[in-house]
Amino acid sequence: MRKFNSLKYLVWCVLLTTGVELTSCKSKKNTESSAPTTTAPAPDTTTSVAPAPVQISPDDSLQTGVRDATKDYPGVNATVSNGEVTLTGTISREKLPKLMQSLHSLHPKKINNKLTVK
Amino acid sequence: MALQDKYKELIDAAKNAGVSNLQVREQDNVLYINGNAPSGAVKDQLWAIYNKIDPDFRAGDLVLDVNVATVAGAKAKVITESSNLNIRKGPGTDQPIVGKAAHNEIVTILSAANPQWSLIKTDKGEEGYVYTQYLAQQ
Repeated sequence: MRKFNSLKYLVWCVLLTTGVELTSCKSKKNTESSAPTTTAPAPDTTTSVAPAPVQISPDDSLQTGVRDATKDYPGVNATVSNGEVTLTGTISREKLPKLMQSLHSLHPKKINNKLTVK
Repeated sequence: MALQDKYKELIDAAKNAGVSNLQVREQDNVLYINGNAPSGAVKDQLWAIYNKIDPDFRAGDLVLDVNVATVAGAKAKVITESSNLNIRKGPGTDQPIVGKAAHNEIVTILSAANPQWSLIKTDKGEEGYVYTQYLAQQ
């Protein structure tokens, strides 16, 4: 009986000490692993935003604008289709830039210059 | 990027001349340059460079939409070639003519209806819309 009690006591001691050891190890491990790992702050990044798509005027609005722009250029004919303005006819080289400036400000997709420039 | 290289001199000139809200974008093989020029002279300078790079604007690979901001209350000179400038009831050539401003006459800009048309008033008191291209802000 005494032997059994001693054995029981011994087992209990062993269990107690291993438990303590495990706990201490665990806590050690926890301490090591739970130390706050400081990561370097993210650099001041700017997400690249795609530029807004180019605004193209609808054809009916373009047609009105083209009519007004070409009114003072009797030799010039202009057609509008899917945002593209196509110019035919004749114009003097001196007057061409002014006409082009007016047309470009209408937000066309493209200007096809097929004018005969004198 | 090839178009931006082709028109590099123009883009650089726009930046150096103080064009505000400058945007340079390429879409469907056309380069679009948008912005506000500080004066008509700067706008003309940019167009001269454009004409040098692409004589007679044949390539059709650029839309140069750089306009001079209209200042309400500013004076402007009528810069038609020689003829009078029609003053219209509304912003469009389909609108009735309500007056005329003479070549070289100084008028007052009231507002900009859109980049193409400005609401003006003459010294005689005539008020209406004129094609902005025929005005040089003073």
